[in-house]
Amino acid sequence: MTITWLGGLLRRRTGRLLATAVGISLAVALIAALGTFLTTSKATMTARAVRSVAVDWQVQVQPGANPTAVRDAVTRTSGVTATESVSTTQTTGLSATAGGTTQTTGPGLVLGLTPTYRHTFPGEIRQLSGSPTGVLLAQQTAANLHVRPGDRVSIGRAGAAPAVVTVAGVVDLPQADSLFQKVGAPPQSQPSAPPDNVILLPQATFNTVMGNRSSAATPAPTTQIHVARGAPLSNDPAAAYESVTGAAHNLEAHLAGQAVVGNNLGAALQGARSDAIYAQMLFLFLGLPGAILAALLTAALASAGADRRRAEQALLRTRGLAPRKVARLAVVEALLVGTTGGILGLGIGAAAGRLAFGPSPAGSSLSTSLVWAAIAFIAGLAIATLTVLVPALRDLRGRTVADARHAVGRSRTPLWMKGGVDFILIAGALLVFWASSANNYSLVLAPEGVATISVSYWAFLGPALLWLGAAMLLWRIANLALHHGRRPLARFIRPLTGRLAPSGAASMSRQRRPLARATVLLALAISFAASTATFNATYQQQAEADAQLSNGADVTVTEPPGLRVPPAAAAGMQTVAGVRHVEPIQHRFAYVGADLQDLYGVRPASITSATALQNAYFAGGTAKTLMARLKAQPDAILVSDETVKDFQLAPGDLLNLRLQDSRTKKLQTVPFHYAGIVKEFPTAPKDSFFVANADYITKATGSNAVGAFLVDTGGTNQNAVAANLQQQLGAAATITNVTQARSQVGSSLTSVNLAGLTRLELVFAVLLAASAGGIVLAVGLAERRRSLAILSVLGARRRQLRGLALSEGLLITIGGLIGGGLIAWGLSQMLVKVLTGVFDPPPSVIAIPWGYLTVTVLAVVGALGTAAMVSARASTRPAVEELRDL
Amino acid sequence: MTAQLNPDNALMSPDGDLVVCTDASRTFGSGPSAVVAVQGTTAKVSPGARIAIAGPSGSGKSTLLHLMAGLEVPTRGQVTWPSFSTDAADRAQDIGVVFQSPSLVPALDVAENTGLPLILAGVGEQECRDRVAEALELVGVSDLAAKLPEELSGGQAQRVAVARVLALRPRLVLADEPTGQLDHATGQHLIDVLMATTTQIGAALVVTTHDRTVLERLDTHWWMHEGQLRTATTQGASA
Ligand SMILES: Nc1ncnc2c1ncn2[C@@H]1O[C@H](COP(=O)(O)OP(=O)(O)O)[C@@H](O)[C@H]1O
Ligand SMILES: [Mg+2]
Repeated sequence: MTITWLGGLLRRRTGRLLATAVGISLAVALIAALGTFLTTSKATMTARAVRSVAVDWQVQVQPGANPTAVRDAVTRTSGVTATESVSTTQTTGLSATAGGTTQTTGPGLVLGLTPTYRHTFPGEIRQLSGSPTGVLLAQQTAANLHVRPGDRVSIGRAGAAPAVVTVAGVVDLPQADSLFQKVGAPPQSQPSAPPDNVILLPQATFNTVMGNRSSAATPAPTTQIHVARGAPLSNDPAAAYESVTGAAHNLEAHLAGQAVVGNNLGAALQGARSDAIYAQMLFLFLGLPGAILAALLTAALASAGADRRRAEQALLRTRGLAPRKVARLAVVEALLVGTTGGILGLGIGAAAGRLAFGPSPAGSSLSTSLVWAAIAFIAGLAIATLTVLVPALRDLRGRTVADARHAVGRSRTPLWMKGGVDFILIAGALLVFWASSANNYSLVLAPEGVATISVSYWAFLGPALLWLGAAMLLWRIANLALHHGRRPLARFIRPLTGRLAPSGAASMSRQRRPLARATVLLALAISFAASTATFNATYQQQAEADAQLSNGADVTVTEPPGLRVPPAAAAGMQTVAGVRHVEPIQHRFAYVGADLQDLYGVRPASITSATALQNAYFAGGTAKTLMARLKAQPDAILVSDETVKDFQLAPGDLLNLRLQDSRTKKLQTVPFHYAGIVKEFPTAPKDSFFVANADYITKATGSNAVGAFLVDTGGTNQNAVAANLQQQLGAAATITNVTQARSQVGSSLTSVNLAGLTRLELVFAVLLAASAGGIVLAVGLAERRRSLAILSVLGARRRQLRGLALSEGLLITIGGLIGGGLIAWGLSQMLVKVLTGVFDPPPSVIAIPWGYLTVTVLAVVGALGTAAMVSARASTRPAVEELRDL
Repeated sequence: MTAQLNPDNALMSPDGDLVVCTDASRTFGSGPSAVVAVQGTTAKVSPGARIAIAGPSGSGKSTLLHLMAGLEVPTRGQVTWPSFSTDAADRAQDIGVVFQSPSLVPALDVAENTGLPLILAGVGEQECRDRVAEALELVGVSDLAAKLPEELSGGQAQRVAVARVLALRPRLVLADEPTGQLDHATGQHLIDVLMATTTQIGAALVVTTHDRTVLERLDTHWWMHEGQLRTATTQGASA
């Protein structure tokens, strides 16, 4: 029986069953693909965090403990693959004589490295020039001393004569911050910057030069054991963090006070951990609504076929089939649709994931894929149950056919409308939003050193309530407008329907329920597509801004300190192919009180031709007004928030800085006037700094030396332009371009393959919007076909029928577009605010992806138009036949 | 066998005929499951004719009516309307059809449904209203003017369908079992109204029925059997 019936079902209702299955498959695919995104991005974050660390642990041997014993203990610890010991001591200063003059530095650090150190930890030391073995000098120290490989440097020793060594090479220490950390000290008492003067000696040289303590005044060298770990880490940053931190604590406990572990790996994973939560947030914010939408569309599709299903059920019952058996057939149908949709969806999801994230994304193990496949598949079955089985069972429970066909008539106002649930939901959304945009809110809280992460899941309520409330409000408005706006409606559709306009308006007004439902469904789909796209566009904009901010411009030429390059050098760079504009920026240091800060001298009139200044970088004015203020007032200065607080500055206040005069090499006081707050600036560090007029600084210091040139390439060809510039300028200048910065910035979510997510989301969203456009007209299709058939036999012309169908489609389209646009606008504002932590820097304006929105609108209009035309072509089937059927 | 019919006004010129069926057939489907609903029918309807088509269920009455209305296309032979426009939509203003099955637009009320053909014919608003009110009055459903089709009984809906045809004042009325869902008295009344009104507006009337009492009210009887028009008999009018 079941088999026969199933066969018949497949034959008679192939189209509808397939469409329902496709609807389910969209939801399943979205969940599966986004799940893949989630696992992939978490794994990427872990991998990146691990890669960013050169030395996993720095185990500091405590005074009095035996370094050899500690090292042995560390080496025996499970998970440890290699150890090297590093000695550190202080020098009173370094000096060198070159070209007849002697340069001397302040106190510095001397490190002793084992011969195998650089092999074990290749990421810690980067060779810039000279030989990799022997005495190595840090880049800045070499610049300060004006020495090159082969020159001699004397190391000042407390209570002993300086020791003279020959420099073999100059190196860069990319991980200086962690290398010179105060192991075991809390973050706030870590040094704010790594030491300026560093010399690296082979361990043997270190021992002879620094090892013998000639007096009690000489501090004893300290020893660190640098550790490389090989223990496999979980793909999830949070789990990885926990295991690494646990292992470090374990080692400390084992060493019983003889050493303290500096957990670099843990610190890196710590950052990744909160990023992972953000990825999860993105998954929920962007993925769930899509799945819900697909389910809603499926439900709409299934209900469009409800009439026929009811007729079939009635037939089965009149043939004497027990309700239980009819129910069983409904279960079989739901299973069939759910399984087909599930399998199809997993296929689509796998293909989409492959397109978006590449063939086998990192961290996609078979087990996690299976877990996500299972979750998505179960979701598909759930949707099938809700959209196919539940309505069928409800019908079976004695709803009469007449009841069910109550699409037209005078309906009672739904309870939610009477109770104003839509207003309550929107008010709730605003309340949550207000609370979540209050000062101390943060969606994800991952306190340092604490294993637990707190997520304000309630912040989800804002967008969720807004989506729901706005949809209901739109329903109410559409309902009201259709109910009471018959006359304007008739006027509106007259161009399409001619004489039939009043009848068309009357008919639409009475069919306001399916029409309002269709409009809301379409609006939801459009708002999903638009707000997702807007969020993504804003994210891209900020990621780009972040890259621009850290690099300065498309290409940045940084001049070595000590080399005095005049602004006129820009003219030479201007001739390089691909260069549109070159903007010099001075970089000096200035004392404010006892505090040393970076000072940037800019040309306010032309700086924006080379780099983008966002309003969010400033306070007390927009980027434009503040640059204008600098231009108008030569001694104006922009300072950091902190400086304003520290010195209690009010706009116009005098601020005296001490700058080095290039002629006398002495510090001299230069007066400035406070004009505004700068929080971020191209090439500037993340902490406090100043921005002032380049001309004024030149006059005050007697030097126009440029720190960096910002090169605008029009946003393209950065790599080629950088290479050309390097060729022209030689090796002295450091040339970076924004594409490198793009891949480097970010402990933040930038490391996540959001591009993949974006592509995936956007394709799904436009698909959903287009299918919504098609499906909404399928709702009430039977009713419409019947009406058009009657009109046709009464002598309506094809043009008029088409006009009626089109005006219905047009009405839904306009309502859906306006409603969807408004909802998307509100939703985007809320999403960007709630997910603020995802952005770095926080956006001052929301980026609107006009291109994508146009495509979406076109897709929706196209789908609706096609659906309207198809339903208007009821005349492919003789009208009387249509009448016979019903 | 083909029935060669000679309805009442045999002497009238062919140009005056409203509908002429010439060896018209209508087959549904194809192959072994094909159903020949109407077979080789030759017949015509002249102005002022009052014809009843009788025959068992499934004998092809409705299909023949649809052929004459131009709503079905004959698979063989032809149907022509010498007095009417060749454009189907224009012709719809001269031929009013009462369908056997419900044929009201679900989302329009009774008055709006009744006025639909008038609107399509371009009748002015005021006149449209008057004619609708008059037609509804004639079939006795004035009180239902503001009701929706789903709120009507089958009989009420059928009377509204008749009112819709009468309001149009066509030159040919084709009614497919208009009394099928009515009690005897109401049915008789409806036939009275159809006869009187068509007489008044000078329209020909063709009614299908298997109700003897209805049959007896009309002058000409066509008998259908298995798609074939068997006999046609004409008797004195008894209206
Ligand atoms: N649209 C159609 N498709 C298939 N068969 C049809 C169709 N319309 C009528 N028929 C068949 O044609 C035959 C005549 O039908 P009909 O004209 O409705 O008869 P009547 O009105 O005399 O009851 C019946 O066998 C019917 O099943
Ligand atoms: Mg019939």
